[in-house]
Amino acid sequence: MGLACCAIEMMTVTSAEYDIARLGSEVFRSSPRQADLMIVSGRVAWKMAPVVKRLYDQMADPKWVISMGACASSGGIFDNYAVVQGIDTIVPVDVYVPGCPPTPDGLLYAVNLIQQQIREGGRGGILARS
Amino acid sequence: MPSTQTPPIAGAAIDPPSLRPPIDDAFIERVEPERLRARLSELKAQGFSVLLDVGGADYPERTPRFDVVYHLLKLPVARADAKEVGTPVRVRVLCGVDGPQPHLSSVMDLWKSADWAEREIFDLFGICFDGHTDLRRIQLPYDWEGHPLRKDYPTRGQARERSPRPQFANKMNVQAGTPPSGRTLEALQEQVKKARGQ
Repeated sequence: MGLACCAIEMMTVTSAEYDIARLGSEVFRSSPRQADLMIVSGRVAWKMAPVVKRLYDQMADPKWVISMGACASSGGIFDNYAVVQGIDTIVPVDVYVPGCPPTPDGLLYAVNLIQQQIREGGRGGILARS
Repeated sequence: MPSTQTPPIAGAAIDPPSLRPPIDDAFIERVEPERLRARLSELKAQGFSVLLDVGGADYPERTPRFDVVYHLLKLPVARADAKEVGTPVRVRVLCGVDGPQPHLSSVMDLWKSADWAEREIFDLFGICFDGHTDLRRIQLPYDWEGHPLRKDYPTRGQARERSPRPQFANKMNVQAGTPPSGRTLEALQEQVKKARGQ
């Protein structure tokens, strides 16, 4: 979900220079019911947090979550009352991508790591959480 | 003629807005809360058809603690047959409010843009607007407690200030490069090795 500035880099990852489609992630679904991977890119406000949780719940198992950027991973530079200090307080996260914003290469590496987890582990989240 | 300074509050020991230099060429005036609605109606009748914003400020060291600022704009004449097009005129109207439950009368029937602007002031400062038909929070969750832009509200939020967990209090003890949950790539690889039975 493209919430803030990291969404720009997520859009760049779909461009020709970085091209996430060659790794298989061609389509960005507009519905969580059809998605396997949720990329939370951008700061999550406390007002938006129940929406993120609901979208995660609506995804079917197996599902994975990438926390893209500093704000999604830990609140980033926004150490205040309004921003969730890390989305792992509301959804389980498989890969964190640091950066403000991370380069598109960082997000590609994160997708690579997810694929590695899938190859070696199986169901989403269980390997990382166990 | 535009004033050079915000008119100070009579009798206030310190009045920070009056000590500031002017930013633009707006006419600045200060009214009492009782006179506010009448004055804004007068200005609207004079042609100030645009309410750009309603802003607020908190000066805890001053007696009327809050300042509510109305930014009005009079658009220039835009008729094709007019010889000259006028210039836009800006007016800033300040109103000091105070009290345990500060309130002002709403102007949303004069300007529709006051609707959300007053909701924002209520959300962030706690100033109620009498006559507003839908006064609820607009930026924070609807059931949030507290008004964050008041000077006595902690930056990190009241929940984290009260929390006994040190990592919620400040971020100094989070090491760079560690994910907040502690799960690193090495830990994951350990898990994979264990799962394969190596």
